[in-house]
Amino acid sequence: MMDINIREHIDLELKNLEEKLLKLGKLAIDAVSQSVLALKEQDVDKAKAVIEGDKNLDDMAEDIDMSCLKFMARFQPLGQDLRTVSAIMHMAVDLERIGDYGASIAKRAIKLSDRPHIKPLLDIPRIESDIRKMVFLALDALMEKDTKKAEDVCRMDDEVDDLERQIFRELLLIMIERPQVIEQATELLLVARTLERAGDHATNLAERVIYIVTGKKISASQIRRPREENS
Amino acid sequence: MSDITRDVMKVKIENLFLYYEGVMALKNINMKIPNKSVTALIGPSGCGKSSLLRCLNRMNDFVPNAKVEGRIYLDDTDIYSPGMDLIELRKKVGMVFQRPNPFPMSIYDNVAFGPRLHGVTDRSRLDEIVENSLKASALWDEVKDILTRSALSLSGGQQQRLCVARAIAVNPEVLLMDEPTSALDPMATARIEQLIRNLKNHFTIVIVTHNMQQAARISDVTAFLLMGELVEMGPTEKIFTSPEDQRTADYITGRFG
Repeated sequence: MMDINIREHIDLELKNLEEKLLKLGKLAIDAVSQSVLALKEQDVDKAKAVIEGDKNLDDMAEDIDMSCLKFMARFQPLGQDLRTVSAIMHMAVDLERIGDYGASIAKRAIKLSDRPHIKPLLDIPRIESDIRKMVFLALDALMEKDTKKAEDVCRMDDEVDDLERQIFRELLLIMIERPQVIEQATELLLVARTLERAGDHATNLAERVIYIVTGKKISASQIRRPREENS
Repeated sequence: MSDITRDVMKVKIENLFLYYEGVMALKNINMKIPNKSVTALIGPSGCGKSSLLRCLNRMNDFVPNAKVEGRIYLDDTDIYSPGMDLIELRKKVGMVFQRPNPFPMSIYDNVAFGPRLHGVTDRSRLDEIVENSLKASALWDEVKDILTRSALSLSGGQQQRLCVARAIAVNPEVLLMDEPTSALDPMATARIEQLIRNLKNHFTIVIVTHNMQQAARISDVTAFLLMGELVEMGPTEKIFTSPEDQRTADYITGRFG
């Protein structure tokens, strides 16, 4: 006779949900990376592929949401199981949003593809690379239930904010000097802002992991460096 | 949300030990049960939750070779003090059991049993008590035309609500419930749960349940017992989302028990 252990069954279901989330996370952050690459290389086809892929991301997020609901209906989870399934539902929304940002950057990449860059793109890919690390680290933290890693993600958001501010100052100077590129500079500014937002969602992921593991709701600002006045 | 530190405490348990035949069944229980709220006792079989419940109205007095140490205060009265009148205690602390156990008599007489025992003889007064108790236990509409029929003709769920009516007919202050829905189907269970939520406006309710979802649905405060010890007690939503003790976390997620 097969021995069915309900506890193992719950663990397996949660693992499946986490793996689905991992897959969504990879696709979402790839959308951001590819859109920044499309921007940098002025590759319209690549940008279009990101925009087309967004539907797939939305479907996956929806599927995770439904799977979580079914899990709750079947197992009526409590304690860490309940925290996990609730966190996964929220994390799927964060990841889906990050994917949306990829599509939005891709649209700007298409807009900017017919004119030479107003400056070499260095800092924007740097933010992208930071956010990529943050999302992967947050997902690692989830799989390993590692709050240390989650806290690191929160700290990394400081650098993202710094870079965004740096880009803002640089583009402001360019706009003052060369008003004819204001439109392009504004687009780049919005890309930087979009990436900064993606960083916030990566931080949300990390906060959820800490909640799953400790049961305590923390805000990333408790971990990050104190905010400077007027920044 | 229930703040157990602020609420008025109805029952205080201090350094309670219970032994059956010299074997320790409850170990140094300290606990405060808030007034007019539902407190759920949860824990695996044999953890002592029913034993603890039965200490609250001295039901363990019936068990040969059971020995109780420590203090249990109902308001300011130590219920284990030598002068305690047990009839009076059980009037104040009523009990509903796992299986419905109506007396083999009419519906009316079941509910009137307690009041009669306590000296109520006036027919119209008894009528009033029976009607009010059956209304409070959400059974009146179903039985008001068949009050003289045997209680045993009722369904299991109705019988259990009758037992609740019988318990509250003597106007107790505390109502103890030992797995009151474990023998009932989901519909009858839902009615009892609804009833418990309504009754807490008038009584302090302590319920033993094996069903954690039930504890989560109906209680304000939950206490987790394990091997005769109180592991953790706190607001129900806290116990079921983020308990402090690892043993509680393991139990509510089905890792043992």
